Amino acid sequence: MALLQIEALTKSYGNEARALDQISFSIQAGEFVAIIGPSGAGKSTLLRCINRLVDLTSGDVRFAGVSVPTLRGGALRRQRTQIGMIFQHYNLVNRLSVLENVLHGRLGYKNMVQGVLGLYSETEKREAVRILESLGLGEQIYKRCDQLSGGQKQRVGIARALVQQPKMLLCDEPIASLDPNSAKIIMDTLQQINQKLDITVLVNLHQVDVALAYAQRIIGVNRGRVIFDGPPAELQQEQIQQIYGSESGELIFSLRERYAI
Amino acid sequence: MSQRSEPLPRIRVRPLTRANLSIQLTLLGLTLLTLYSFTTFDTRGIGLVEALQDMLNNFRLLLLEPRLRSVSFADLLEALFVTVGLGLLTTVFGAIIAFFLALFAAQNLAPIWLNNLIKGGTAFIRAVPTVLWVLFFAVAAGMGSVAAVIGMTFHSAGYLIKAYAESFEEIDAGVLEALRASGASWWQTVFQAVVPTSASALLSWTFVRFEINFSTAIAMGATAGAGGIGFDMFMASAFYLDLRELGAFTYAILVFAMALEWFATHMKARLGKSRE
Ligand SMILES: Nc1ncnc2c1ncn2[C@@H]1O[C@H](COP(=O)(O)OP(=O)(O)OP(=O)(O)O)[C@@H](O)[C@H]1O
Ligand SMILES: [Mg+2]
Repeated sequence: MALLQIEALTKSYGNEARALDQISFSIQAGEFVAIIGPSGAGKSTLLRCINRLVDLTSGDVRFAGVSVPTLRGGALRRQRTQIGMIFQHYNLVNRLSVLENVLHGRLGYKNMVQGVLGLYSETEKREAVRILESLGLGEQIYKRCDQLSGGQKQRVGIARALVQQPKMLLCDEPIASLDPNSAKIIMDTLQQINQKLDITVLVNLHQVDVALAYAQRIIGVNRGRVIFDGPPAELQQEQIQQIYGSESGELIFSLRERYAI
Repeated sequence: MSQRSEPLPRIRVRPLTRANLSIQLTLLGLTLLTLYSFTTFDTRGIGLVEALQDMLNNFRLLLLEPRLRSVSFADLLEALFVTVGLGLLTTVFGAIIAFFLALFAAQNLAPIWLNNLIKGGTAFIRAVPTVLWVLFFAVAAGMGSVAAVIGMTFHSAGYLIKAYAESFEEIDAGVLEALRASGASWWQTVFQAVVPTSASALLSWTFVRFEINFSTAIAMGATAGAGGIGFDMFMASAFYLDLRELGAFTYAILVFAMALEWFATHMKARLGKSRE
């Protein structure tokens, strides 16, 4: 059975045109999937429907056998602990230390008092430190987050998602604010997490070349509809033009040749 | 380069809009009113030179020759303590109430109808001056410290709710989203993200309000029978006509205000550093 099953998912904000229109696909456990598409296509909205940061208008999302749209309160929180999320702007609490930020990933497992007071068990703390060390941040654990570089912040974001012990990672343009070097480190890290920890990765990307290099499967979205769904090898210029509109096609395709993928 | 003699049209830096025009007319009106009032002062035959001399003499007594007579130094300290206590108590009460209500008044933390309800209520509370609130509660509690505490707390809460809520609203929406995405509950998000991010702003606003409440507490001592240094100053000035003693009280207040300022700055610096 698929880990994530999306059926006829539709989302409209108010009276505007549909941000997502009858989206259906499913993802098997262990896959590394990239979603590409132009700005405003609905990529961020799609990810947020999966962990219910936004409510869907109609359709169904099933994660690990549980239907997400009707979840509320404690059940929704428990569901969210199984899905880690990584953001373009890292979204860390800048005034807190690296370790405190990473431990925020455990809040979904805590009762109200423990979470409010920030009471974490020794096991949780040791696990957080171990993950930080594995991401090369062992020296930084007591630093305030606003003293880190962008690449370091994103690794803290990844650590925060990993202490959740998630089945799946949702990444919303994780490298869009990073220089090429840091971007490569982050993408390599995501790949390792996918291969070594067997965590399913679903990542929104603006860079087609990066998607082609890392993903086992690419989903192309335009105006809230799935235009393409298949392995990178099947993504031809024609499909890229359909996804991004005709003008951009050649530019992106030449990129692909340059990177010799 | 050829020189043209044709005059260029003048360029206005500020367009003459309706808003600009009304500001200029208002300023003109105020100027005329001021000039008019100068010409119609009732000076009761006191000469300008004489009046200035008197005033300077009074300042000399007040500032250069302070001393105590009707009260002892210990009395002064006790009165100052009462006034500081009144200011502190109302600030702390107000801050605690304001913290919880401000969470529901912030747009990024609570539904909009609740925001509007609380913001509307606090706007009304703030629109009525503190003194009127004290007098209002004096009807129920009688003139004195109880009415002063309730009335000042009321107005402090109204003020701090607005200030705190605006600090909360400045928090990056993405940070709150990230905690919700990991399964954190609303209260956990508040204490793990909202409070640490806005702590220094909350502290600043609370100190500002304490300064306001301290001076209000002095005024309440003089006018609403709340006791403390305000009452002693009222006695010294209106009853004993003793400017020298009034001067001593003024210095006591000044010293305390400076100590408070130093403490506030020190606290903020420490809060900034403690996490590094
Ligand atoms: N909170 C919101 N309220 C109203 N409309 C929204 C909201 N969020 C997104 N939209 C609309 O939904 C559509 C899809 O937006 P979304 O952010 O999902 O696109 P995206 O593919 O992530 O774009 P980008 O690549 O620029 O991040 C857009 O038309 C956008 O204007
Ligand atoms: Mg987006």
